[in-house]
Amino acid sequence: MTDSVEETADETDDPGAANTGYSPTCDARTDIVRCQGLSKRYGDFDALKDCDVRVRQGDVFGLLGPNGAGKTTLIRLLLGYLHPTGGSCAIAGLNPEVDSVAVRREVSYLPGDARLPRHMRGDGVLKFFSEIHPSGNRDKSHSIAKRLELDLRRRVAFMSTGMRQKLALAVVLATETPLLILDEPTANLDPTVRGEVLNLVREAQNEGRTVVFSSHVLSEIEETCDEVAFLRHGVLAHELKMAELFQRHRVTAKAPSTVPEIPDPLANSASITIVDAIGDREGRVTIDTAGDLAGFLPWINSLGLSDLRIEPLGLRSVYDAVHAGQKVAI
Amino acid sequence: MDRVLIKKYIGQSMLLFLACAFILFTFAWVRVWVGTFFNLSQYQGILDQLKEFEHFAPIEFSALMSYAGQVALVYDEPIVILCVVIWSVARGSDVISGELGRGTLEMLLSQPISRRQLLGSHAIVSIGGLIGLCLLVWAGIGLGVYTNDVDEEIPAPQVTIPIFNWEIPLSAGEPLVEKVPLADRVDVRTYASPTFHLFAFGFFVLSLATLFSSLDRYRWRTVGCVVGVYIIQLVMFGLGKAAKSLDWLLNMSFFSCYKPQKMAAIVGEKGMAGPWSLTEVSADLVLPPLVYPLILIGGGIVFYIIAAIRFDRRDLPAPL
Repeated sequence: MTDSVEETADETDDPGAANTGYSPTCDARTDIVRCQGLSKRYGDFDALKDCDVRVRQGDVFGLLGPNGAGKTTLIRLLLGYLHPTGGSCAIAGLNPEVDSVAVRREVSYLPGDARLPRHMRGDGVLKFFSEIHPSGNRDKSHSIAKRLELDLRRRVAFMSTGMRQKLALAVVLATETPLLILDEPTANLDPTVRGEVLNLVREAQNEGRTVVFSSHVLSEIEETCDEVAFLRHGVLAHELKMAELFQRHRVTAKAPSTVPEIPDPLANSASITIVDAIGDREGRVTIDTAGDLAGFLPWINSLGLSDLRIEPLGLRSVYDAVHAGQKVAI
Repeated sequence: MDRVLIKKYIGQSMLLFLACAFILFTFAWVRVWVGTFFNLSQYQGILDQLKEFEHFAPIEFSALMSYAGQVALVYDEPIVILCVVIWSVARGSDVISGELGRGTLEMLLSQPISRRQLLGSHAIVSIGGLIGLCLLVWAGIGLGVYTNDVDEEIPAPQVTIPIFNWEIPLSAGEPLVEKVPLADRVDVRTYASPTFHLFAFGFFVLSLATLFSSLDRYRWRTVGCVVGVYIIQLVMFGLGKAAKSLDWLLNMSFFSCYKPQKMAAIVGEKGMAGPWSLTEVSADLVLPPLVYPLILIGGGIVFYIIAAIRFDRRDLPAPL
């Protein structure tokens, strides 16, 4: 399957290949999803604006953002449900505007609110979807359903929301496509099943598949993703490699009498925020660092700070900063 | 077209089909049977008094005096029309706005099937079901015709007095009544053309519902729009029939193209091939008889094409 994707991507590198609708500026061999200036406008409202996203083959790519940020719009544009008002996108070198069927042959998609034919039984649903998709695998979908402890004899109409979500997951995760797009896959699931779903995502990655993972649960993104894109008001506000995030730390301490200055060699990878005293509470200094913490320690030690605390900077702080429209150091 | 989708749509519509099929087949059969209870000649006098209302009827009253004409009434019975309309509106409205409303289109279209494939597969099942229902009406009529007898009076022997030309019956008793198989009086092949008209009528409504479904995201609104158009067209047809000054409305109502009883009457006049003519115009008709159902089918095809183009181009909203 991966070979065929590479073949398709190779073809699009040919300047004469018009299928993708835009000239590739990045390595098509490693990017399974590419968007360039992708926009969707409804009247005066920009649901997505000038979005440039690249997802490397084999990665788990997170999409983060508050409700209405444009995550689902981006996914729906990729799958050809929506027609873009600007820019272009390609999956495995195929433009959904030109051939959305070919695109969907490469993709297995779990919608945010997956609804299945209510007149069918669980096993009927698995049979239907494994037959309709050329990469469908009925045995695998049954084994995933078993892992998720799903009763397949029940009709969809009589299943709870969580059971329907599990059934949809069994359909989607069993389809052996190079790209998986999961829109809030763990919604409505209990913690045990959530963990199982994250395991399945990792397994998919180990099989060489690429996963685009949209979620509001930051810990899940932290656990599974290699790269994250933050969307805000329809704009791609920030992109972040998780490996870089794990090298970020926040140092907090009582505010010193003099404002510390960042030495020149560290200026590009640290920022200082001073919070003035409020009422009886003393003011505090916050130093955010990016990169190997060992390089910062001698300088921090020289500041003579008291009540010092160092903690890894989680996705939460980046998310909050992006959400508040602040500049993020990494 | 997609085999798996077709199978799914068959499963989805099976219950409705079976219900409509049972009603249509049974009703057509029973309706023919009930018709045999009445001696048609008894009603001649009543119908003569209602002559001024004849223009409301789809055919001349005299045509109803024949068994073939009376059996053809089945095609204008409200139950038959209702079942065909229910099937057509239910299936037509389901294809896009129905799936969108239920949220199932999302998962369906995430599979590698084109929107036209989806529409085409749905159309195959809906049109196939409609053909099945129309054939079942015909089959019900056939069963009724082959399993029932009618009572017919045998005229008493009489003599004619020359010069005065008087006819004197030779018997003063009750006239003899004999049972005659209905099949001897009615040829079931007569109803091939009315069955085709019923299909054309259903196809028009089905494609109209499909068109509205392709434009909307709520099934209830689609059904409302189709029923609205249906009622407006029916009112136009009724007004056109009622008032001479409004007869131009008849040209604007698709009900004017539904003429099953007239087709049965044409068979009586011109033989089995009569209703299938594209060149010969019969009495009381403006166009050759086959043109009428072809107008309905042509209109339906245009609606389907517009629906396919619209569905192809539209954005599909996320389920609410």
